Amino acid sequence: MQLRTLPRVLVLLLVLALALTACQPTAPKGPDAEGGSEIDAIDLTGKNIEVVLWHNRSQSDQDLLQEMLDEFNASNPYGITARAEIGGASYNDVYNKINAAIQGGTPPNIAVAYQNQAALYRSQDAVIDLTPYINSTKYGLSAEDRADYFQAFLDSDANPQFQGEVLGFPTQRSLEVMYYNQDWLTELGYDAPPTTWEEFEEIACKAAQEDDKAGWALLHEASNFASQVFARGGRILSEDGTRYVFNEQAGQDALAMIQRMAANKCLVEIPVSERYGEQNRFANGDILFVFASSSGMNYYADAVAKAGGFKWAVAPLPQSGELHMNLYGASMSVFKTTPEQQLASWLVIKFLGEKEQTTRWAAKTGYLPVRASAKDDVIAALKANEKWASAADSYAMLFDWANAGMVESPVAGYDGVRALIDTDLISKVINDPNADVKALLDAAVVKADEILKENAPQ
Amino acid sequence: MIKTPRIRLGRLLIYLVLIIGALISVLPFVYMITSALKSYGAILTNQFWPWWPFGDEPLQWQNYAQAINDIGFDHTWGIPLFYRYLLNSLIVTGLTVAGTLLISIMAAYALALMDLPGKNAIFMLFLATLMIPGDLTLVPKVVMVFRLGWYNTYAALVVPWLVSVFGVFLLRQFFMQVPKDLYDAAQIDGAGHIRFMFSIVVPISRPAIITVALLNFIWSWDNFRWPLLVTRDANMRVLAVGMQQFMAGEGGTQVHLMMAFASMVVVPVLIFYFITQRYFTEGIARTGIKG
Repeated sequence: MQLRTLPRVLVLLLVLALALTACQPTAPKGPDAEGGSEIDAIDLTGKNIEVVLWHNRSQSDQDLLQEMLDEFNASNPYGITARAEIGGASYNDVYNKINAAIQGGTPPNIAVAYQNQAALYRSQDAVIDLTPYINSTKYGLSAEDRADYFQAFLDSDANPQFQGEVLGFPTQRSLEVMYYNQDWLTELGYDAPPTTWEEFEEIACKAAQEDDKAGWALLHEASNFASQVFARGGRILSEDGTRYVFNEQAGQDALAMIQRMAANKCLVEIPVSERYGEQNRFANGDILFVFASSSGMNYYADAVAKAGGFKWAVAPLPQSGELHMNLYGASMSVFKTTPEQQLASWLVIKFLGEKEQTTRWAAKTGYLPVRASAKDDVIAALKANEKWASAADSYAMLFDWANAGMVESPVAGYDGVRALIDTDLISKVINDPNADVKALLDAAVVKADEILKENAPQ
Repeated sequence: MIKTPRIRLGRLLIYLVLIIGALISVLPFVYMITSALKSYGAILTNQFWPWWPFGDEPLQWQNYAQAINDIGFDHTWGIPLFYRYLLNSLIVTGLTVAGTLLISIMAAYALALMDLPGKNAIFMLFLATLMIPGDLTLVPKVVMVFRLGWYNTYAALVVPWLVSVFGVFLLRQFFMQVPKDLYDAAQIDGAGHIRFMFSIVVPISRPAIITVALLNFIWSWDNFRWPLLVTRDANMRVLAVGMQQFMAGEGGTQVHLMMAFASMVVVPVLIFYFITQRYFTEGIARTGIKG
């Protein structure tokens, strides 16, 4: 090699090296990159911190939760004492109470919160980003833990409105599924649930030809619509969280189908005031298909056993391509206090997400556990439970679908958009077979974007 | 001879309207009692009368025991939480009614029978607060409870409800009918305002006072959202909050158990109403308030 060509070769090698470095996959976020080392430096020894957790579950669930926390209290080496409290009967009750507590200066350490509620707390600078805690070498999740968690569940709490800050951590989840009356489906001449929307509409309308029967129970609320949009390959909110996109093709197709099926009397509308009306009517054998949360599966099993006594099962909603399902379930958010209290709170949440605890919680409540490794234990527990046994096989299928979960909209102000979807879209197309679906969706998205803008972090 | 059938027809129509109204009023109670005695299956299959002679289902009395057991157990006292809730409801309602009566009587007396400068303007301001929806003041009130350090105490459950604008208004209207001469006579006999109020005005205003007591008893007994917001554990919660256990979660509602629980919750209200109904009607009629 001539000396003259050496610099050119060196430059070439340098460029090649840089290019290769750029092409390498991103390394997992290390503790230093995400502030984990700061968390590692906190020493909780002898601090005896008290942690209060607010939730919205029943007294019997509270008993189980406290039982698990008592085990944590007895076993953690830092003297942390965790206490669970029923903050309200619904997510909204807890949300209202927390807002008052934030203003009163006494929020709990941890509370259940949907992603959009956590975003509202974050707007008030009241909750913290859990990324450094998750990444902490000393207190965070190990590589095995991360691999065991359903990735879609972990991803669901990263908030696009706050540069991907993780404003909550999952300890439970559920999926929107299609409940169907298997016996009735067979009678109609089908040996499997519909997998396409065309087939779904055809079967539902066929079922509705019987007197006082309906093919589909349409729940009058936004999540039902969102589930259909996802299953058709669309989204409610853009991936970067900057605009609503439910007026795209998937949204148009979903709304047009609702309008058509309402006009053809293939569906029955379930108003919000008729609490669990879809479940009762399904159990009574009056409805062929219901889209609802998988967390209600044991109630479906119980209701069908007491009323209709027919064979039923669940399936994903009909799809237009790759499997996408609506992922439900509030996470645990940690409120801003002292670094020690925040860390203690994280350790409580981490404990609740461990295999043993997530298994017990899932087996009691019907939610999905957050770890794949819990599957066998949860299924075994359900099969041993008289109330649950008939639903266990259906429940087992959820594990295959868990990573197909998508979150509706994790941004602040989504509750207003939910109301909009109900009043400006669903109500209108049900009552007006000639309403212009595209125009309605476009107008609703304009309003939704205004809500998004109003609630954007300052 | 000619008029009689017309009067009878008129009365018949009045009775018919009243009977329809009474049936509509009583229907929710009938639904509650019948649902409480049905099985879950009978409710799901919409059977109105699943018992003899139209069906073969026995009356499901066990729903009551199950409803009591299903809302949880108080491990501190070793009893079902139902009894703890019941005790809390009695304490909170008792204190609220007693406190409201005392404050309402004194405020109404001052506004009706004392010569106070600007009392009509004060009364108007007082009444104006009725126009503010309760939901609007809920969160600020909770914030105050947190700031006062009353969270999860009886003070939080009772104190914010001790002033009843409606109670003051009702009693003021009633007290205004008391002749001024009575006070003059009492004054000659050496009685002051306090003596006159409790010895003369209160006894003759019994119907109005009982009306205020009954209405506040019902409001306090049925209060759900407030106790839920300002308490944190089962030891401080009341029956109305206990009932939400049947609706918590995301799966479904055990209607038969919820109705069994609800029918137990309304018993004290019904008893109190039947004891006081004579005075209640009189109180409403004499103050000119249409209930």
